[in-house]
Amino acid sequence: MDSKDIILDVKNLNTTFISDRKKIRIVKNVSFQLKRGSALAVVGESGCGKSVTMNSIMRFLGRNAIIEADKIQYNALRDGKVTEYRLEQIDKPHGPEMRALRGPEMSMVFQDPMSSLNPVYKVGDQVAEGLLQHNKGMTKAQAREKVLEMFRKLGIPDPEERIDCYPHQFSGGMKQRVVIAIAMICNPELIICDEPTTALDVTIQAQIMELLKEMQTKDGKSIILITHNMGLVAEMADEVCVMYMGRVVEFGSLEDVFDRTSHPYTQALLRSVPVLGLADGQKLETIPGATPNPADLKGGCEFADRCPFATDACREKDIPMFQLSPGHRVRCLKYKDYPVAEGGEAQAEVAEVQ
Amino acid sequence: MSETKTLSIKEQNKSAASSLLKKNIRKFLRNKLAVFGLLVIVIMTVACVAAMIMGIDYSTPNPTIMKAAPDAAHLFGTDTIGRDLLARVLYGGCYSIFIGVFCAVLSSVLGAVLGAIAGYFGGKTDMVIVRISEIFQAFPQLVLVMMLVAILKQRSMGNMLFVFVITGWMTTFRMVRNEFMSLKGETYVKVCEAFGMSKMNVMFKQILPNVMTPIIVSTTTNVAYFILQEASLSFIGLGVADSTPTWGNILNAAKSIQVVQDVWWLWVFPGLAISLFVLAINFFGDGLRDVLDAKQQ
Amino acid sequence: MLKFILKKLALMIPRLLVISLAVFVGLRSTGIDPITFMVPPEVISQQPEMVDQLREDLGLNDPIIMQYFRWLGNILHGDLGLTNKGESISGIIATRLPYTLELSLYAMLFSSIIGIGIGIISAIRQNGFVDYLGRVLAVLGQAVPQFLVGILLIWIFSIKLGIFPSGNRVSPDATNAFMDAFMHLFLPVLTLTIGMVAVLMRYARNTMLDVLNSDYIKTARSKGIPEWKVYLKHGFRNAMKPVLVILMFRIPALIGGSVVIESVFSYPGIGTAMTNAVTNMDYNLVLVITLIIAAVMLICSFMVDVFNALLDPRVRLGE
Repeated sequence: MDSKDIILDVKNLNTTFISDRKKIRIVKNVSFQLKRGSALAVVGESGCGKSVTMNSIMRFLGRNAIIEADKIQYNALRDGKVTEYRLEQIDKPHGPEMRALRGPEMSMVFQDPMSSLNPVYKVGDQVAEGLLQHNKGMTKAQAREKVLEMFRKLGIPDPEERIDCYPHQFSGGMKQRVVIAIAMICNPELIICDEPTTALDVTIQAQIMELLKEMQTKDGKSIILITHNMGLVAEMADEVCVMYMGRVVEFGSLEDVFDRTSHPYTQALLRSVPVLGLADGQKLETIPGATPNPADLKGGCEFADRCPFATDACREKDIPMFQLSPGHRVRCLKYKDYPVAEGGEAQAEVAEVQ
Repeated sequence: MSETKTLSIKEQNKSAASSLLKKNIRKFLRNKLAVFGLLVIVIMTVACVAAMIMGIDYSTPNPTIMKAAPDAAHLFGTDTIGRDLLARVLYGGCYSIFIGVFCAVLSSVLGAVLGAIAGYFGGKTDMVIVRISEIFQAFPQLVLVMMLVAILKQRSMGNMLFVFVITGWMTTFRMVRNEFMSLKGETYVKVCEAFGMSKMNVMFKQILPNVMTPIIVSTTTNVAYFILQEASLSFIGLGVADSTPTWGNILNAAKSIQVVQDVWWLWVFPGLAISLFVLAINFFGDGLRDVLDAKQQ
Repeated sequence: MLKFILKKLALMIPRLLVISLAVFVGLRSTGIDPITFMVPPEVISQQPEMVDQLREDLGLNDPIIMQYFRWLGNILHGDLGLTNKGESISGIIATRLPYTLELSLYAMLFSSIIGIGIGIISAIRQNGFVDYLGRVLAVLGQAVPQFLVGILLIWIFSIKLGIFPSGNRVSPDATNAFMDAFMHLFLPVLTLTIGMVAVLMRYARNTMLDVLNSDYIKTARSKGIPEWKVYLKHGFRNAMKPVLVILMFRIPALIGGSVVIESVFSYPGIGTAMTNAVTNMDYNLVLVITLIIAAVMLICSFMVDVFNALLDPRVRLGE
C-alpha cells in the first residue's frame, strides 16, 4: 500500500510525560495506518491513551510531554500528487509547519462543546478565523458567506441570525455543530474526532454521528473516531484499533474485530456492552479488576492481571504483535504460533521511572 | 493462611488517622520554606516572651545616651529618649504578636459564626448580615479603623483590639457562608435534621468541621495581616499609645526625616523584625495550606 | 446596556445615604461637644448662658436626625462645613483631593501595566526568569510593610543619593511645574506601585494560567493561528475580565495605602488630612472625608459591574 492509499502512517509512537522529575510513558509503541477515505475507530477504556495518542499526532500536548516516533507520516493528496509530511521531525509544536497543516489538512473535533468555544466571541467570527488564517486574500464578506454555507450544510437553523450569536446562546448539539464547522471550514482531509458525542444527549448523538458519516462517505474524508462506545464503532467504523494502557492490542477491519475477536480484552469489551433483551437473572458482564496506574506497571502484558487466559510467560517480557490475517493483528501470546506482524516486534523497554 | 489480628473499627480508624497525620507532618517537613517559617516564628515568639518574663527594662528613659548607635551595651542602640531599643523591640514583639494572634483568632471566630448563621439559615437573616458586611467592606479597612478610633477617642489596647476584630471578620465570613450554603444541601445534613438534631448541633458539629481547613489557613495568614495593620496604624500615630511598645509605634519615630537619616537603627531593627516575622508566617501558612488542602482531596 | 448602567447608578445613591447616616450618627455619638472647639474654655465656664444660647442657635440641641438632615441639606448646597479651627472644609478638599487623586491614579496606572504584564508573561513562560523574579518580588512585597518600603526608598534615593525630594508636593522655588510634580510624585507612586504589583502579579498569573488551560485555547490552536494570536485574542481577552475585577477590588487597599504613604512623604493630600482630623478629633472633617472615600468605593464597585457587562457577553445578554 502506497502513500496514495494511506493518509496517516504512524510507526512506534511513544509519548512520555514528565511530572515532578518522574517520567511516565503513556503511549507505548503505537503503530497504525489510516486508509484514505475510511473511518478508523480507536477504542479503549478511559485513560488508555487514545486521546494522548491523537494529541501527540496533532502536537497539542504541553511542554512536559516528550513525543518520539519512528514515523508519523501524513500524506496530503492534491491534484493527484502526494506530498509527504514527516510530523515527527517537526520540532516546534506550534511552529509554522504544524500550523500550516492544522485546518487545511488535519483538524480535530473536541469532546466538550461547552468549553471548546471561546465565550467572548461570536460563533461566526470563531469559524471564520481559521478560514481567514489560511486564505490570506479572502475578505471578511467572502469568509462570512463560506461560514453561512457551512452552517447550512451542517443543519444549523437560521444561519444568518445564528452566525452573530455567542456560544452560550446555543444548545449542546448546536455548539458541537459549530465545533465541527470550525474543524471543517478549511476542508481538511483528515478529521480526528475525540469522543465528539460523549457530552451530548443520545438523540443528538445520533444526528452528529450521521453528519460525520456523511462527511466520510459523501466528501471522502478520512476520519479517526475516538470512543469508548462500541455501539458507535459498529455504526461508523471501517477499521478498529483497540488500545489498552497505551498499547495497541488489536487492530483490524470491523468484521475482523467484531466477528473474529481475538484479544481477551477486546472480547471482554464486546461482552460488556449492555444489550436490550438480557434474560432474567442474566448478569451484566464486567471486566474484573481495575485499570492499573501507569506508573505502577512492571514488565510484560499490561492486561495480564485481569486476563482469564494469562500465563507466566505473559508477565515476563513485552508481547509482540502477531499477524492473524491480512489487516488483522493482535498482541497476545495466545497467538504466538502466528507470524510476527511487520514492525510488531517487541521493543526494548524504555526505563519507566527515573 | 496468614494470621489476622482483628482490630475494632475504632482502633483501625485511629491508626489510619495517626498514619495520615504522620504522612502530613512528613510532607510539611519536606517544604523547607515552611519549616524555616515555623522556626522563625517560634524563635522570635520565644525570645519576645522570654524578654517579657525576665522583665527587661524597656521604659526607663536615659537622657545621657539618647539616640546612641548600636554598641556592646545596647545591641540595637537607643531610641529618641534613651531607652534600650533591643528591649523595646523584644517587648514590642510580644505586643505585636499578641495583637496579631488575638485579632486573627477572634475575627475568624466572629466571621465563622456569622457565616454559619447566614449560610445555614439563609433568607432574611442572611440578607441582613450580608448587607452589613457589604457596608463594612465598602471601606478600605484602614479608613474604617481610623473612623472607629476617632469615635472611641481613647487609644487603649482594648479599643484597638476591638476595632480590628470588628473590621476584620468579613473575609472569613464570606468563605464560611459560601461553604455552608453549598454544604447545607448535603444528604448527611438532611439526615441529621430529620433525626431532630438541634440546629446549633448541625451547624457547629456537623458542617463546621468540614470548613475548618480553610479557616485555619486564613487565620494564620491573618495574623500577618493584623500585625501589618497595627504597624501602619501606629506609624501614622493612631495606634496604641507609646508607653506600650509595639513594633509599629517604635517605627512612629521614623516619621521624621531626621530620624530616618541619623538614627537608622530606630527604623531598621523594628522594620526587619516585622518583615521577617510576616515573611515567616506567610511561608508557614503556605506550607500549612499545601498539607491541609491535599488531605481534603 | 444603558438601562443596566442607570439601574446600577440609581442603586448607589441610597447606599451612600445609608453610609452617611451611619457615619454621622456614629461621630455625633462620641459625646464630644463641638462647642469646646469653638469657644475658649474660660468663656464656657464663665458665661454658661451665652454658651447655651449658642448651642440653641447652632441647633446642637436638636435630635440627631434633624441635625443629620440639616447637615445633608448643607452638603447638597455645597456647604461642607467648617473644621474645628474654623477653616472651610470645601477649601481643604479642593486643594488636597486633586493631589491624592494624582497619586492614586498614577499608582493604579503603573501597577496595572507592570503587575498585569509580569503576571501574564509569567503564565506564558512558566518558570522562566520573569516568573521567578515575579515570585520573589511578590513574596517580599507582601511581607515588608508599605511604609517601610517608603522609608527605605527615601533613605536610598533622597538621603543617600539626593535625587528626589523626601516629601511634600510643591517646592516653593520650582520653575517647571511638570518636573516639580514628577520629582515629588516619583517616590510615593513607586512605593504604592510596588505594593500593588506584588499582589496583582500573582492574580494575573493565576488567572492567565486558568485561561490557558481552557479547552477553547486548544480549539484556537487547532485552527493553525499563530501563537501570539492565541495568547492575545483568546487568552488575554478572556483573562481581562477577572483581572480587571481584581484590580478594582485592590482599590480599597490602594486608598488605605495612600493614607499611610502620604504620611511617610508628608504629602499634602486627603490622607494626611484624615490622619490629622482623627488625631485632632475634628469630626466634621472626618465625616466629609469618610464620605468622599465611600463615594469613591461605590463608584469603583459600579465600574466593576460595568466592566463585567462590557467584557462578558454572557452577562450582557443574559444566560
